[in-house]
Amino acid sequence: MAVAAKGPYPKFWATVGSRPARRRPGVVDDCEWSPGERPLRVVVVGKGGAGKSVVAGTMARILARRGRRVLALDTDPVPGLALSLGTTARSTPPLEAAVDPAEGGCWRLKEGIGPVRAVQRFSTLAPDGVHVLEVGDHPVSGVGSVTPAAQAFYQVIHGLPEAKALRAWTMIGDHPAGPRQTTHDWAPYADTLLVVAEPNWKSALTARRLIELASARGAAALPVATKVTSQGDSDRVAQISGLPVAAAIPADEAVLESDRQGVALIDHAPSCPAVRAIEDLVDGLVDGTIRPVASR
Amino acid sequence: MKIAVAGKGGAGKTTVSGTVARQLSRAGHSVLALDADTNPMLGISLGMGPEETYRLLTVRQGLDDGTIEHQHSVEGLVEALGVDAPDGVRLVVGMRESRVDPGCVCCGGMTPQQILGELEEGGRTVVCDMEAGVGAIVRAGKADMVLVVVEPSVKSIDVGVRVVASAIAAEAEVIVVANRVRGEADLEAIRAGLGDDCEITVVPEDPTIAQADVEGRAPIDIDPGAPGVHALSSLAERLVPAAA
Repeated sequence: MAVAAKGPYPKFWATVGSRPARRRPGVVDDCEWSPGERPLRVVVVGKGGAGKSVVAGTMARILARRGRRVLALDTDPVPGLALSLGTTARSTPPLEAAVDPAEGGCWRLKEGIGPVRAVQRFSTLAPDGVHVLEVGDHPVSGVGSVTPAAQAFYQVIHGLPEAKALRAWTMIGDHPAGPRQTTHDWAPYADTLLVVAEPNWKSALTARRLIELASARGAAALPVATKVTSQGDSDRVAQISGLPVAAAIPADEAVLESDRQGVALIDHAPSCPAVRAIEDLVDGLVDGTIRPVASR
Repeated sequence: MKIAVAGKGGAGKTTVSGTVARQLSRAGHSVLALDADTNPMLGISLGMGPEETYRLLTVRQGLDDGTIEHQHSVEGLVEALGVDAPDGVRLVVGMRESRVDPGCVCCGGMTPQQILGELEEGGRTVVCDMEAGVGAIVRAGKADMVLVVVEPSVKSIDVGVRVVASAIAAEAEVIVVANRVRGEADLEAIRAGLGDDCEITVVPEDPTIAQADVEGRAPIDIDPGAPGVHALSSLAERLVPAAA
């Protein structure tokens, strides 16, 4: 069959402009950073319910408390990251106001709005000064489309790696469940995928799949085991996912309770075991003691 | 009859789909289980085992290397990609997330809601396990019934509210499956979020289901009488009129 047919993603590129040269995804020029200063650029992926938003939101808050400028990016059309950061999601897609129609039913960012302006104008502020930019929300009525805002968001994130004004910013992304956005390059700013998995088959097999997809793209992947009650749990995630576990977040009643109440974990229980484990993960990523290994 | 199972990631969609499909089949119905998630794990909850489930993920690669013929109709797709699961359930792993070719049914040219819409019922009951989130399938009104799986957390209830609104707007029948309910407070939280106008089926927190997840088995194969499994079996029996 002729290759003339193109899916929605190639169309995006028509609106983004020329496709950036192939390079290692998300690498922030590290030769000039003094030790521990290089900003983290990660995206948190995994199966639904594994704890992606809690890990991403808590990491963002911890780094902001340490004085980092942090941009948290929620690409899930059903936003959950805002809640885990301790703020509320916008009721309409923020970038809806930033798009113009383009050819072929596509949408593009308005003239004069680049990634930096988009972050300045359309991100909201969460506690500790975290900036959060959301792809946006389906209206509860269920008939609206988030497509224009999503296409604008896609263009914004593809501008982030080159945005000089944001060079020192930490960027933490939160993807929706499953492999779709990993396949279609929804985190070009990230050099590392944190692949969150519970110690059960569905979650850990999803991690295996995501690690395979990441490695096909040349991105590094680090499994993070969640809801861990024993060393065996952690080992199971490593065994099924195919990579050693970079961090084990213990099962913690405080996480369940904060979910039930709809508050940020770090506000609900700032020194609970799960937050401490996420702090250790942040420490390790910042000082370089936690780093990706080649996948088997 | 076409049943779509929707809800937030991790709420229990796949467990509900797999157990309902198995129970319907046991009750004498002809059941087609359609895994419409790009992260297809329904095979595990149907009892096919993790390795086989993961292998099915890659079966579609056969389309690329030529060992499977491309299909240009939905029935052809079901025929070519369907596999047998326990109790006579037929499983089709429907979606792939890349190499989208709109000209070809089996290469992403059809969305899950189109596939569900085009499927002939032909006396079958179709149980469709959806991708996490609100899901266009519900919006498009291709399902006769939508099971909205909700856990007692603010985020899960929020997604549930959206799915219910979409399903009602699409004139599908809606049943809320309140999953992992540990007590009256949990149920109350779900009721408060979703209102009184929805039928709610309660699935209690059940260690058997957790065990099934850890072992990669179908809950119904571990203990059909466990409280959570039993609640889902009873739901299945109420969903579809008994087979002749």
